[in-house]
Amino acid sequence: MTDIALIVNGENKTVSVPPETTLLKMLRENLNYTGSKLGCDVGDCGACTVLVDGLAVNACLILAAQAEGKEVLTIEGLSTLEKYHPIQKAFEDVAALQCGFCGPGMIMATKALIDQDQDLTKQEIKDALSGNLCRCTGYTKIIEGVVDAYQEITGKKIPATKPRVA
Amino acid sequence: MVDEVKVAEKTEKLESLRKIDDNLRLPSVPERIAFPKEIGVSAARMQTPAVGQRATRPDGRMHGLGQTKYIDDMFFPGMIHAKIKRAGIAHAKIKSIDVSEAEKMPGVMATLIGSEIPVNSFGPSLQDQPLLADDVVRHAGDGVAAVAAVTEQQALDALDKIKIEYEELPNVFDPVEAMKENAYKIHNNESNVYATKTIMKGDVEKGFADSNFIFERTFTTQMVEHVPMEPHASIGQWDANGRVTLHSSLGRITLGRADIARTLELPINRVRVIATIVGGNFGGKNEITTEPIIALLSKKTGRPVKCVFTREDEFISSTTRHPFVMEYKTGMSKEGKIMARKVRLICDGGAYCSWSETTLGKACILSAGPYNIENLHVDAYAVYTTKTMTGAMRGFGAPQVCFAYESHMDDMAAELGIEPLEIRLQNAFNEGSASPTGQVLEAVVVRDSLEMATERFGWKEWQR
Ligand code: FES
Ligand code: FES
Repeated sequence: MTDIALIVNGENKTVSVPPETTLLKMLRENLNYTGSKLGCDVGDCGACTVLVDGLAVNACLILAAQAEGKEVLTIEGLSTLEKYHPIQKAFEDVAALQCGFCGPGMIMATKALIDQDQDLTKQEIKDALSGNLCRCTGYTKIIEGVVDAYQEITGKKIPATKPRVA
Repeated sequence: MVDEVKVAEKTEKLESLRKIDDNLRLPSVPERIAFPKEIGVSAARMQTPAVGQRATRPDGRMHGLGQTKYIDDMFFPGMIHAKIKRAGIAHAKIKSIDVSEAEKMPGVMATLIGSEIPVNSFGPSLQDQPLLADDVVRHAGDGVAAVAAVTEQQALDALDKIKIEYEELPNVFDPVEAMKENAYKIHNNESNVYATKTIMKGDVEKGFADSNFIFERTFTTQMVEHVPMEPHASIGQWDANGRVTLHSSLGRITLGRADIARTLELPINRVRVIATIVGGNFGGKNEITTEPIIALLSKKTGRPVKCVFTREDEFISSTTRHPFVMEYKTGMSKEGKIMARKVRLICDGGAYCSWSETTLGKACILSAGPYNIENLHVDAYAVYTTKTMTGAMRGFGAPQVCFAYESHMDDMAAELGIEPLEIRLQNAFNEGSASPTGQVLEAVVVRDSLEMATERFGWKEWQR
């Protein structure tokens, strides 16, 4: 067993897990944060995306022990009892989640992107989310949700892409 | 030297975290439920529902907050985990299965093989599929044994210790070969063809004789996996009253319930299936997979048993979209009117029947396309091969034939020098047209749709 101390969603935690436990397994099974999903276990789908010290990470690919002393943010840590997080709200409003299994990962990847505080284009949003797969929506609504959330949070505007035929 | 400093720093941080946490932990506080108390209803949900308005989903908020409980997010006290051993060989006779080594592995609580299942066969139209192959393996993804252990990792480790002796049988991978008389019979039937459909309308031979041009081409499509983001998952609990409760990602629970009762030889009222939000189905979760297996493992161990497919299980053992071989022959007049069409469809069903019959029927009816064809002859066959099995997937045979007849249409338009849109409008259904099976159609909008669509996406401009 390995002892790990870390911060999850702003709370200090200590956990004791077998050394081969991934961060995802530990979050889901030891700490009960089941919002992050296991889609593939090999880093292909992004359903397990969480933020570790502010960076988007596939939680299925890193060991729990590697998060020692780090600050982890999961989907459960976004909204508070007082405030609905703008990304979650935007995703709800544009119906960006159908079965919703990709949702928590998508939203966390979006948070990491918006937190970088850069000027974004639609294409850059698509590139940044390319590690997150969704089988239901066809991505259109998800990108719409990200654009809305980005504009809401940063106050910046994303230029609308021109339709192919005028 | 440098390293030492690093280690020291780290220890300090770690210790301070532990100290704070100890204070927090006494008395222990359950996890915070992180959702806002009052959000109000999304503006999109307040409008009168109408076409063209923005829509939202009632469960979207729960999904976004990470609060939706899929099967894998549920835990029951004392729950253990099951994993399935896959054959890894396409076609073989099973000579022996030895699970004794696996049972000695740490954490292993029970194993199960096919012969322990009361009725080891299921399927929506033909009951030709075993839950765990006990006699013959018919595709590499066939399950051959199951292990239940305290952790998933222990169950996976134990799978490697299961010893199985196989005697290889000939592989049949090509559906056209499989149809031949001398092909190896995968299910010991007279033929590998297990379903046929025919549609005949008018007189094709006469139609071909009246045509100015004859076009022939064979089209093929490949196997497609649904890849739902959530792998198949279920939790089984066998209680002291001999009742089984299954939480499952099944899409069609009533059908599944009947199958589970049949395979377990239980009256149907002893089986309770609880469905929850499914993380993507697309047709791939319409049938039972491991439900009876985990029910039996639960009976053996007296604990709730959870089984979640690995992504590999998902690809090799769950159903897929049928690959088709489609031979088209069409007779055309000079003006571009379809005079006659002959179609031969071969549906590669993989190892088991599943929904192939239904798929074949639909493909057959739709294979002529939305076009008026006086003289039509369609022959369709579903064939066993020793490949991953096929089943329901969005469209049920429609996308395959659509690809074929529309490609065929484009080929013919190019050869005849007629505009692709023009040739379609010339042959498309009208109000009151009859489908190949004689159904008279009402509210036919195919022409309007074609015209409107081509206008919207700039077909004319693109043609220039
Ligand atoms: S589960 Fe981690 S990337 Fe798919
Ligand atoms: S909403 Fe189903 S996978 Fe994205």
